[in-house]
Amino acid sequence: MESTRIRNFCIIAHIDHGKSTLTDRLLEATGTIDKREMVEQVMDQMDLEREKGITIKAKAVRMFYRARDENEYELNLIDTPGHVDFTYEVSRALAACEGAVLVVDATQGIEAQTLANLYLALDHNLAIVPVVNKIDLPSARPDDIAHDIERLLNVPNDQIIRASAKTGAGVDRVLEAIVARIPAPVADATLPLRALIFDSKYDAYKGVVAYVRVVDGELHKNNKLRLMSSGLEVDALEVGLFRPKMVAGDSLGAGEVGYVATGLKSVREIQVGDTLTHADHPAHVPVPGFRPAKPMVFAGFYPVETNDYPLLRDALDKLKLNDASLTYEPETSAALGFGFRCGFLGLLHMDIVQERLEREYDLNLIATAPSVEYHVLKHDGSIVTVDNPAEMPGGEEIAKIEEPWMHIQVFTPQEYIGPIMDLVVQRRGAFDKMEYLDAQRVLLTYFIPLSELIIDFYDQLKSRTRGYASLDYTFADYRASDLVKMTILVNDEPVDALSMIVHKDYAYARGAALCKRLKEVIPQQLFPVPIQAALGGRIIARETIRALRKDVLAKCYGGDVTRKRKLLEKQKAGKKRMKRLGTVEIPQDAFMAVLKLGD
Amino acid sequence: MLGSVALFVFVPFCKIKCTYCDFNTYAHLSRWIEPYADALAREISWRGERVAQGDAAPLRAKTIYFGGGTPSLLPFPLIEKILHALQNSFALVADAEITLEANPGSADVSRWRDLRALGVNRLSLGAQSFDEAVLRRLNRGHTVADTLETFDAARRAGFDNINLDLIYGLPLQTLADWRATLERAVALAPEHLSLYALQVEEGTGLAHQIARGKYPMPDDDLAAEMYELAEETLDAAGYAQYEISNWARRDVFRISKFEVVDRTENLKFASRHNLTYWRNEPYLGFGAGAHSCFGGARYWNISSPVEYIERSGRGESVVAGGEGIPREVEMAETMILGLRLNEGIAFEAFAARYGEDARLRYARPLREAREFGLVEMSEWRVWLTPRGRLLSNEVFWRLLPDATVQNAA
Repeated sequence: MESTRIRNFCIIAHIDHGKSTLTDRLLEATGTIDKREMVEQVMDQMDLEREKGITIKAKAVRMFYRARDENEYELNLIDTPGHVDFTYEVSRALAACEGAVLVVDATQGIEAQTLANLYLALDHNLAIVPVVNKIDLPSARPDDIAHDIERLLNVPNDQIIRASAKTGAGVDRVLEAIVARIPAPVADATLPLRALIFDSKYDAYKGVVAYVRVVDGELHKNNKLRLMSSGLEVDALEVGLFRPKMVAGDSLGAGEVGYVATGLKSVREIQVGDTLTHADHPAHVPVPGFRPAKPMVFAGFYPVETNDYPLLRDALDKLKLNDASLTYEPETSAALGFGFRCGFLGLLHMDIVQERLEREYDLNLIATAPSVEYHVLKHDGSIVTVDNPAEMPGGEEIAKIEEPWMHIQVFTPQEYIGPIMDLVVQRRGAFDKMEYLDAQRVLLTYFIPLSELIIDFYDQLKSRTRGYASLDYTFADYRASDLVKMTILVNDEPVDALSMIVHKDYAYARGAALCKRLKEVIPQQLFPVPIQAALGGRIIARETIRALRKDVLAKCYGGDVTRKRKLLEKQKAGKKRMKRLGTVEIPQDAFMAVLKLGD
Repeated sequence: MLGSVALFVFVPFCKIKCTYCDFNTYAHLSRWIEPYADALAREISWRGERVAQGDAAPLRAKTIYFGGGTPSLLPFPLIEKILHALQNSFALVADAEITLEANPGSADVSRWRDLRALGVNRLSLGAQSFDEAVLRRLNRGHTVADTLETFDAARRAGFDNINLDLIYGLPLQTLADWRATLERAVALAPEHLSLYALQVEEGTGLAHQIARGKYPMPDDDLAAEMYELAEETLDAAGYAQYEISNWARRDVFRISKFEVVDRTENLKFASRHNLTYWRNEPYLGFGAGAHSCFGGARYWNISSPVEYIERSGRGESVVAGGEGIPREVEMAETMILGLRLNEGIAFEAFAARYGEDARLRYARPLREAREFGLVEMSEWRVWLTPRGRLLSNEVFWRLLPDATVQNAA
């Protein structure tokens, strides 16, 4: 189709504000999917995505829409991931669009994450189509919310569409606004090919499939292509578009969105944000903004059953086919045996990977507490990076330790400013700025060490603001901090998997809290078990788990031998799920105890 | 003892339900008592025929136990009817132990005399506590005075083998409270004492009361101290502990310098019926929800008393289910049940029964249990240490074969 009739757009919304439902309505209204074959919320395909109510992988769909001007338009909707762990992926999806539909819940209003993505969209010069959704709800405040949006975006109030994706009200106005207000792509079919990869996935039959937006030129089936960042050359085995299933075609024109099947074996080889061009007639400059995927958070994954190590390795190999941001390498722990050090974009990403390993591959895993990557400058002038606290060099070797800091945005009703300030200060954060969006709502920005952010910060923020505050973050820089390694000893033996890096000034409080927490999660053993926190050789905190004194079934007669045996069998099965450190049995979640210290 | 069994009769009726009880027992079903006794008699004779040996000689039985519930709620003629059914269907040995469980509250000497004349020679009295407040809290429906009167009446009627059940580890109960109850129990000089640590079972009234915050959850460490106090007190008062929760007065059948006094079979007042269970020997159970272990299988009856009566009336089987006991499981059960006894497991007897040396088969669990001080071993046997008695589950789960664990999970 002529590029003047193409509209490429995405939808920006907070979780549960109605992005998926609106998508379903658009697909229906354009006849892309029959109402009968409509599985609710077509775009979120993974089970986990449905459960968590978020989109993990971006997807795309092409719709044809006959507008009131009697012309038929090609509408490409690019779905964006909905979580701060995936900000880079969002930015690449936005780069493939000329406009965004901003969906705001008429009962909840604008949230930090929406705002963060909106700013990203404005950075990309996208035209914004604001929609106040869920106007059918009794508690809806469409005029107030519209007023907020009006001030935020400086758009006339009458351009803010009131809609209900649930009932279908206003959906036609959304479609018309997409056609009228979002510009057609500025695309030149005569220039050398540049196709932006905004997502990729591994398909068992087609190999790696790249999701692309053709920026310039045309992409034909069987073209020889080159990835501009890596120089890797691939064949366009299949070219096609999303309806929303993949439908093969002959070519993708300038400005269009579709896919290219490459036959490659790993998504790692085709990275999001890279540019595809023709191998024999390449473009000179790639689409700007490419950044290789870089994990920010690291944790050890260990099988509870040491025999499962090969299974874990195979499972990670398979997951990685479809997850370019996941990294892993073998690691050995004195306490936990053989496992893998895995790198993730953030905690949610870690959660998702762990859950998929346990659910889809039936693995019983121990995850160690997540860590960040430290830059350690030694006295001999060398610099090492450490993402596992157990591997931190001895204090006498270290000249300086730097840790990653994040820039966070907290969007909150103003009455919670105090509690949020307290929390951030407790977590070594530094105030950046405060903007009142209206009389009630405030956008707070801070700088804070990532290591503090990953320890229970989000839960604490939610509990201190009764769920009203929302959070967004991006990497800021590395900064030197006065950090020390804290060792945890269980039954007088250091447990490497429980080591953590802490700020010197916070070591005593953290050590005490962690010992106390471990005392709660480790069940009583047949002997007293001391739990200690140490800095270097110095004990800074101690708790003792008293010995178990009574574990007996008082009555056992003829009537219930079977039942009593079943109880013992359950007890035995429970023990099998624990990790044995020397003679102490530790439940899996003890290693994550550090994440639930409370404040 | 081949072909000799213990017989158990379950009576599911109670006047009221105690707050801690999760047994298959029912208050307010009294109109079913008579049909229930009829159904029992039918089951007994039917089962007696089935298990009779080849020449149709009835199976030998060495003990009878009326348990509940509250068997003493049965009117005398019904007890007589059931006992006669048992005598008709099984060959009772001459000195058979016949136990009846009873709740305090019946000071009628003539009734006890009738029961004694009928052949009941052991009485198990659910005293539970000598603390009025405790009895009220547990909704026991009897007072301390009831216990004393009932005990006295039974003695006067000629019962010379009486057990008292006591319960400890209760919410709000102090060590001193427990000491007082122990002392009053000992003062009565019963032949036998069963002491049970309270187990807060899901779904019971007590579990609700604790969940609602009416009572605190009992403290395990305190319960352990109560247990140790009981061990000392009863030992000093002349009782020999022979099972985790059971003590018998230290009277013995024979005194010979070659005999070990505390060997269970020499203890005159050890419950011979319950020894059958702990030695993993065959037994037949009659009544709603009753379990049987016979011929290498365990099976159990339908638990609803009304359904039990109805099925029996229609001439249908009252069995609800069963499981074959694989050899490995049987051996583990023999170990687990046997270790509940102070005498423990004799290696020679185990080898004679299974053709295997328990020391080899259970080398690892026994080694671990020894390292933790839970069991002691001699050349001949293995038994729980005092600490092991309080932590016996930590020994027992180790003895289970791995395969069954997967079934449980």
